Amino acid sequence: MAAPTLLDRRLVVVTGKGGVGKSTVASALALLAVRAGKRVLVCEVNAQERVAPLLGAPPAGAREREALPGLFTVNVTPPEAMREYGLMVLRFRAIYAAVFENRVMRYFLKAIPSLAELVMIGKILHEVRKAGSDGRPRWDLVVVDAPSTGHAIQLLRVPSALLDTVPPGPLQHSARWMHDLLVDPERTAVALVTLPEEMPVNETLELDAALRSVVGIVPTTLFVNAMPANRFAPGEESRLATLAGERAPVGPAATAARLQSIRARLAAEQVARVRAALDLPTGLLPLLPLADWGRAALERIAAAIDAAPPSREPWPR
Amino acid sequence: MAALTEALASRRIAVCVGSGGVGKTTVAAAIALERALAGGRALVCTIDPARRLANALGLSTLGNVESAVPAERFAAAGLRPRGELSAMMLDVKRTWDDLVARHAPDEAARDRILANRLYQQMSAVLAGSQEYMAMEKLYELATDRDYDLVVLDTPPTAHALDFLEAPTRMLDFLGNESARLLLAPAIGAGRVSLRLAQLSGGYLAKVLARFTGAQVLADLGELLASFHGMYEGFKRRAAAVRALLGQPEVGFVVVSSPAMASIDEARAFHERLRAEGMPLAGLVANRVTPDLWGDAPLPSPGDLASALGAAGGGDGDLARRLAEGLAEHQALARADAVALERLFSAAPGLPRAVVPRLEEDVHDLAGLARMAERI
Repeated sequence: MAAPTLLDRRLVVVTGKGGVGKSTVASALALLAVRAGKRVLVCEVNAQERVAPLLGAPPAGAREREALPGLFTVNVTPPEAMREYGLMVLRFRAIYAAVFENRVMRYFLKAIPSLAELVMIGKILHEVRKAGSDGRPRWDLVVVDAPSTGHAIQLLRVPSALLDTVPPGPLQHSARWMHDLLVDPERTAVALVTLPEEMPVNETLELDAALRSVVGIVPTTLFVNAMPANRFAPGEESRLATLAGERAPVGPAATAARLQSIRARLAAEQVARVRAALDLPTGLLPLLPLADWGRAALERIAAAIDAAPPSREPWPR
Repeated sequence: MAALTEALASRRIAVCVGSGGVGKTTVAAAIALERALAGGRALVCTIDPARRLANALGLSTLGNVESAVPAERFAAAGLRPRGELSAMMLDVKRTWDDLVARHAPDEAARDRILANRLYQQMSAVLAGSQEYMAMEKLYELATDRDYDLVVLDTPPTAHALDFLEAPTRMLDFLGNESARLLLAPAIGAGRVSLRLAQLSGGYLAKVLARFTGAQVLADLGELLASFHGMYEGFKRRAAAVRALLGQPEVGFVVVSSPAMASIDEARAFHERLRAEGMPLAGLVANRVTPDLWGDAPLPSPGDLASALGAAGGGDGDLARRLAEGLAEHQALARADAVALERLFSAAPGLPRAVVPRLEEDVHDLAGLARMAERI
C-alpha cells in the first residue's frame, strides 16, 4: 500500500508556504486513503475552498459534505467552530446566544489572541476523536489542508500555549488532550510541502524549525511539488546552447531543452539543500503542464505518491 | 518604452499587490531600478526579499533604513544609472513603535503602551497589522522625503480585501468605545472580572476567565485606555494615508504568476481596487513560459533526428528527448497562455507586462535590469 507510514495515522496535517500545492497534496493523500477503503474527512481551515472543487464537487461550506464516496470535505471557519465549541462547553443554546452573540463579547473574542485558532483546531481534533453511529471512529483519517507557514504555527501551537498559561480546569483539560493528540507520532503526521525553489525552501526550513521548537512536533514527511522532468544531463547544456542557434525545428527544441535543463539543475540543487537540512522521508511530485487543475491532475499526483512513496533514498527515481 | 513603464512615468508612488510567491518583490525592485536608470531618485521598500535579491540591492547588511545601492554594484552589472536607487526593508514592529511615539501625549504614555504585553503581540498576531504598517511607512516615505518614485512591495495577504481594510480594522479594534468603557476603569485583574460579572449574570465572566484568564483582559483594558487619547490622531493619519492612495500620482501594479490560484487572487485585487476607485497602473504577469513554437504541429523525433543530422550530427536518443522536451515546454506555455487570458480579459485596456520565466532567480542588478526591460 502507498505511503503506509503517512496514511495509517488518524490525522495528517499538510502545510507549507502559500502557493506550493498544499491542497493538491492533501487531496491526493485523501484519494489514496479512500482507495485503501478508509473513510476520510478533509478539513480546510477558513479558506477559499479548493479541495471539493478539485475533486469535481461543490464547496462544502461549514458542514461536512461527501465529495466522493467515502471522502468528505469541510471548511472550518471561526464563527461555526466557535458555535460548536461554545455549545459543547456551555451546553445550552440560550446561554450560548447570551454569551457569544453579545456585541461586546464578540469584540473580546476577536481581540483575544488565538481564540479563533483554538476553536478551529479544537473542532478539527474533535473530528478525529468522534465516534460514528457504529461505534467505530467517525473517520479513519482526517486530513488537514492547513494554512501557510505562520498561520499554521499559530493554529498548531494553541494547545501547548494554553497548557502553559491556563489554570487547571476544563480548558486545561481540553488543551491537554489536544496537545497529546497533536504530538503523538502514532496518531498524527505532519507533511510539509514545498517547491524546488529558493524562497519556498527557505520558508520550509523555518517552518520545520518552528514546528519543532514552538509546537513540539517533528514533521513526518516532505513533499517537493512541481519537480521538472530531468531529460538532459548537466554536461549537455553547452551543446544545447550551441544547437539553440540552429533553425527550426532544432533551434526552438534546443532552447526549450536548455531551459528545462537549467530548471531541473536548479531544482535538484534546492532538493539537495532541503534534504540535507531536514533528513525527512521525501516524495518528489511531478510538474504537470496543465491549464486546468482537477480530478485528473489529482489522480496523477496520487499515482506519483503511490508509485514512489516518500523515502530517505537520496534520489528515488 | 514598454506600456507599463509609460503608465508609471507620471506617478510618484507605485504599490505592488498580489498573492505570495509571484515574484512581487523582484518586480517592485525592477520598477524602481527602471526609474533610477532613467534619471529618477527611486526607493523600493520591500517586506521579505529573497536572500540573493537582498544581496543584489545591498540589503543584507543594511536592513530597515533607507540606503543607496552603491555605485560599484551598478558598475559590476555594467549599468550606468542617471539617477539613484535606494532600498529598505519594512520593520513592522519598529514602524508601530514610531507611530506610537509620534502620537503619544507624553513619554509616560508612550512607555506604557510599548511595555504592554498585548501591544507587543499585536504586530505579530493581529491580522492586518503588517498591511497597516506598510501603508503607514509608505505615507511617511511619500510625504517626508523627496524621492521621484517610491515603490512599495506589499505583504502577501490571504485576501485581497485585507490590504485596504487593514487600517480601519485595526482602528476599530483600538478605538472600541464599549470595550474601553467596560475595561478602562477597572485595570486591576480582579476588578475586571467583577465588572464583567455584573454584565450578564456571571456567565460572561466565567466564560472569559475560562478562555483567557483575567490578566489578558487587564492588559487589553490598559492598552485601550492608553490609546484613548491618541485615537483621533491615528484616525486622521489613517484617513490621510487612504486619501493619498486614491491620488492620481499613485499607481497600483497587480502582480501575478500563471498559477491559477495567483491569477484568481490578482483578479480579486483588480476588482477590489477598481471598486474602490484606486488608481491602477497595470498588470504584470511574471514567470511566464514563453511560446517557442506557436500552433503548428510539433516536430516528431524523426523530424528532429534528420534536422540534427543536417546540423552536424546527433543521435536518435537526443532527438527523442528534444521532441519530448519541446512538447512539454509548449504544453506549459499553452497552460500559461490560458491563465494569462483569464487575467487580462478581466482588465481590458489596462497596461500589461509579460515577464518570461527567467533562467535563474534574479541575483544581481544586471538580472533586475533585464527584468525591468520587460516591464
